Amino acid sequence: MKSRFLIASITLALLGLASAQTLRYFSWEPNITEQTNALIKQFEAAHPGVKVQFEADPPNQYWPKMSALAAAHKLPDVFYMSSGYIDEWQTNGLLADLQPFTKNVDWSQYFTGVLSTARFPHGANGDLYAVPIDWVGPVLYYNKTAFDKAGVAYPSANWTWNDFLDAAKKLTVRDANGKVTQWGFWAYGRYAHIEPWVFQNDGHILNAARTRIQVDANATAALKFLADLVNVDKVAPAPKLMSGVNQQDVFPQGLAAMWVDGSWNIANNRKIIGDKFQWDIAMVPRGPAATSDTAYTWPDMMAVSANSKNKELAWEFVQFMTGTARPADTYLAGTVPFAKATEEAVLKSDASNQPAHESLMLELGKLPSRTTFTPKWSEWRGYSAAGGGGMNGELDKVFNGQESLADAIAAFTSYGNQVLARVYPNP
Amino acid sequence: MTSRAPRSPSTARKGGWARLSTVVVYAFLAGFAVLTLFPFLWMVLTSFQTPGDTFRIPPSLTPSLLFSAHPFANFAELFQRFSFGRYLLNSVFVSTVAAAGQLVTCSLAGFAFARMRFPGRGLLFGALVFTMFVPTEVTIIPEFLLMAKLNWLDTYLPLIVPSLMVGAFGTFLLTETFRSVPYGLEEAATIDGASPLRIYWHLFMPVARPALVSLFVIAFIDNWNELLRAVLYISSNDLKTAPLGLVSLQGQYQSEWTLLMAGSLLSILPMIVVYLLAQKYIVQGFVTSGIK
Amino acid sequence: MRYRRITPYLFIGPMIVGLLVFRLIPIVASLAASFTRWNVFTAPTWVGLANYRAMLGSPDFWQILRNTGVFALLYVPGTMGLGLALALLVNRELRGVTALRGVFFMPYITSVVAVAIVWRWIFATQYGVLNYLLTRVFGMAQGPSWLGDAHYALLALAIVYVWQSSGFQMLLFLAGLQNLDLSLEEAARCDGATRWQVFRHITLPLLSPMTFFILIVSLINSSKTFQVTYALTGGGPQNASTTLAYAIYQNAFVFFRMGYASALAYALLVVVGAITLANFGLRRRWVYHDEPRAS
Repeated sequence: MKSRFLIASITLALLGLASAQTLRYFSWEPNITEQTNALIKQFEAAHPGVKVQFEADPPNQYWPKMSALAAAHKLPDVFYMSSGYIDEWQTNGLLADLQPFTKNVDWSQYFTGVLSTARFPHGANGDLYAVPIDWVGPVLYYNKTAFDKAGVAYPSANWTWNDFLDAAKKLTVRDANGKVTQWGFWAYGRYAHIEPWVFQNDGHILNAARTRIQVDANATAALKFLADLVNVDKVAPAPKLMSGVNQQDVFPQGLAAMWVDGSWNIANNRKIIGDKFQWDIAMVPRGPAATSDTAYTWPDMMAVSANSKNKELAWEFVQFMTGTARPADTYLAGTVPFAKATEEAVLKSDASNQPAHESLMLELGKLPSRTTFTPKWSEWRGYSAAGGGGMNGELDKVFNGQESLADAIAAFTSYGNQVLARVYPNP
Repeated sequence: MTSRAPRSPSTARKGGWARLSTVVVYAFLAGFAVLTLFPFLWMVLTSFQTPGDTFRIPPSLTPSLLFSAHPFANFAELFQRFSFGRYLLNSVFVSTVAAAGQLVTCSLAGFAFARMRFPGRGLLFGALVFTMFVPTEVTIIPEFLLMAKLNWLDTYLPLIVPSLMVGAFGTFLLTETFRSVPYGLEEAATIDGASPLRIYWHLFMPVARPALVSLFVIAFIDNWNELLRAVLYISSNDLKTAPLGLVSLQGQYQSEWTLLMAGSLLSILPMIVVYLLAQKYIVQGFVTSGIK
Repeated sequence: MRYRRITPYLFIGPMIVGLLVFRLIPIVASLAASFTRWNVFTAPTWVGLANYRAMLGSPDFWQILRNTGVFALLYVPGTMGLGLALALLVNRELRGVTALRGVFFMPYITSVVAVAIVWRWIFATQYGVLNYLLTRVFGMAQGPSWLGDAHYALLALAIVYVWQSSGFQMLLFLAGLQNLDLSLEEAARCDGATRWQVFRHITLPLLSPMTFFILIVSLINSSKTFQVTYALTGGGPQNASTTLAYAIYQNAFVFFRMGYASALAYALLVVVGAITLANFGLRRRWVYHDEPRAS
């Protein structure tokens, strides 16, 4: 055993000496390790003398490890970057500016709607600091079988919030004792449940500079609509009623007939629903204040370390890994490959699977996109291990009937602005 | 269990009560055992299911794979796709070395803390117990930087050496255990001219056997379950430990539950074995030590 | 005892070297970090007492501190009581007791994922086992939301943590019981003492060094809870089940506020450390030790 790790250390040291042609590559997708290794083999074959060292840890382990490596100045050359953390990493100078390498890229081959997140400053004209691998966005999931049973027409592109509410009322089924056996809708304070409605009502929860929380009237109206679904119209359960059930299993288990959450849930839905009922996806309904659709889409990306000694090679690798070489079946259903050709392949091979309108993702990709990502997003929004706090926690209190919406908005605005003031002392 | 007192006359007189209390005891034990076994049972059943079986309402508990052509499909996949056998061996190696090492360092230190007076004893013991209070979350990054300086990244050294050298829990446990050894024995041995090492080895170690064995079990399990350090320090696939192999079954958006449960089951088996082997010694400890 | 001066240092030597290098260096560094703003991936900046000031001025901190205290009050007596009860119950001649010892130990090693899934079933508001019993068997109109209601979430977590650590506690108590000199108990029983009298006046005092140790360890463990919380409530609803250990994890690895996380850690250390010191101080009152006859 001992000799083994000696050998391993020596090998590593030797590789270090030959580092001119070695790329270290980290991802958070250990679940596709074999396919990644196959891609790496292809890349190495096309680049004689180049060796790619690959390592993958799932997100909960990936970020602590990457932070530790950054602290020790040992970041890999190429690594995954999320929409939630890119602002923080970019502003701290950890990412290489990739703009100089992009002269010959034919962007028409890609879903460029999500590029804004990877550009600094955000928008069409910033420099590129990462390349999307794939992107996702919330959609409206609906249980066709339940719709048929209730005699309600399926959601259409011109559905209003009133149409949605009507449907939700008819889809809320009660037993003889008045106990609800099927809810019309399911939502709690989660970002992928809330923001789509805000954006579809042309609302903002950040100021224009994205340096402070600022909930405008349209956003407030969207939050009120959602809160009323639970507390007034009684067509959606309070979150506390659903505690003990995985939130992503509420819809596929038939406990609620409609649900808005990220498109990646298509995979989980397929697995759990099987052929128990028919379901599909649709656009989140547009609110009264909006005149056109706004999507909420964001990418997972690949970035190059600012300290990489092989930036050019790293760029080539990034292009290869985010391009059409990666097979369609390595993308989880509902995550859309950055390369359009690959998405077409995905849709083709998925044609016989539910949902029938998976091509909705193509339309989503064409729409203007809005997000709420800022540095410290997970902290003020309440995400991952902090899901019980921040804006998420305050909204849950509203849905649980323990706080008024006005108080909740005041509370998460004040909390969020304290958080953001640490990053941006001036708004 | 040969060392229990024989039935005393008073119990015999209250025969009915004794029988009733035994029934109550059994009922409580059985009820608690069910609660305790249920998660484990769930793990076992899920390891023999296909992904479609899990997470239904009501939950499906049928181990459907057992009735198929490939009852051990999940386990086979773990070994073929993920070199899980390798991970298990690595974990056995790391945990055994670290736990066995702790027995030596902790018992030596515990003996000195319990039975010797020396300047700095209180301070050092205090410092040791104090380290138990500091959450790993805040010390792990400085520790990582230290290990990077020592050039120990991607080796087992950061997993084994600190754990082996500073078992605060173990030293504390053995200090308390050694304290309860009667002084008369030690005095007699000292008068006979036995060296400190002999007294430690021939007098104190046998007496503390139940505690030593318990410590081994706990240290083995703690080292086995060490995830954060394994994540940070280990990069090569060949060096990965079982928990590290297990988390790689958890994806960004969804996990491979059936594989995860099969893997979890495999990775608790060594701990069960260690516990069952140890239990024999924990219980025999008193008898064989011969201190009465 | 009379030993040469150098002897104790030889015995503790290996541990002290490790303590200094592998524990104290990172601890001192993290203490220093508590006076900085540090996101881990870039160099820290010195901010003096700002983290501590922010902490003391934050209403969340006080709520979390209170949660931590309430949790400890539920957990420490719960786990020690259950652990001791189990140890006493399986420290006897019953048929199948060896198997039971193994069974009771299982929660300590069963994967947290499996544990969380099963306890979710138990605690679920609408389809949960516990609420099913409460409504169907005991006739309650509606069971509470164990994991989603601020009044119950911490209690629910404490129940799971107590359950999970009872095997560990049992193992330690069992080791303690097996170390006891049983001749005293036997003598007392022959003199006609009842079971309870023997337990109260002989077993318990003899066991007290181990009990003391377990008390300290339980206190420490009560301040280190993370995994089950993460899996069952995520610290919610609205921080109602967030304890300091959980907040430290959030700040260190979700928010990447390592400086603030360190400040929280040392606040926790002051509180738990003070309680522990008090226990060491009270130790003479109730912990039984054989004393050297002459030294």
